[in-house]
Amino acid sequence: MTEGNTPVVEGEDALTSLEQEGEIAADYLEGLLDIADLDGDIDMDVEGDRAAVSIVGDSASRDLQKLVGRDGEVLEALQELTRLAVHRETGDRSRLMLDIGGFRARKRAELTELGAKAAEEAKGTGEPVKLRPMTPFERKVVHDAVAAAGLRSESEGEEPERRVVVLPA
Amino acid sequence: MLEEALEHLVKGIVDNPDDVQVASRNLRRGRVLEVRVHPDDLGKVIGRNGRTARALRTVVGALGGRGVRVDLVDVDQVR
Repeated sequence: MTEGNTPVVEGEDALTSLEQEGEIAADYLEGLLDIADLDGDIDMDVEGDRAAVSIVGDSASRDLQKLVGRDGEVLEALQELTRLAVHRETGDRSRLMLDIGGFRARKRAELTELGAKAAEEAKGTGEPVKLRPMTPFERKVVHDAVAAAGLRSESEGEEPERRVVVLPA
Repeated sequence: MLEEALEHLVKGIVDNPDDVQVASRNLRRGRVLEVRVHPDDLGKVIGRNGRTARALRTVVGALGGRGVRVDLVDVDQVR
């Protein structure tokens, strides 16, 4: 890219680079699906300040369930590798979110409800509410739900035992 | 298929993809996928606290390689 003579709007620039992240990720994942002969299509999106890539297909598809794994274990591993693949191409660390077969979407709905309930409880009892250990993704969703209910929360402990504590007002 | 999938996953994250080789060996204790990478890339495929190596093993396990060992070595290492 030549500097100086092409004025670029920063917001647009950020969007383009997130779209580029999505494309690199899609290539990497598509290659894997082909080799492993797994059925699935790739959707790309930008959510807030992150690239979001989903592998979608029949919700009943065994293939996709295999790539999600127990508690999303395989999904997390694939997201990790996909972020590294993006980093290799762009030189920047990626915060790309990967979803497979709607796993994260369902999880997000469950955890949002859990966060709202915990906030209710903290308000009712005036005591902090400690939740079970969660992954960084799960904690983020719960923190957001607690904030939406007007309370504060923090994380305590070390991975993989790190958990959210909802603070009473 | 497993070797090819692993090779694809590794090639996509290293700086020297042409140096990546995956060999499958059947040992008495079971199958081993041996991944050879450029010496400069070894740290990359292992990752901080072995995180990347773990991710590679998890995906290989999910693709049907449960019980398959994944070894990461650099091309200069002798067997």
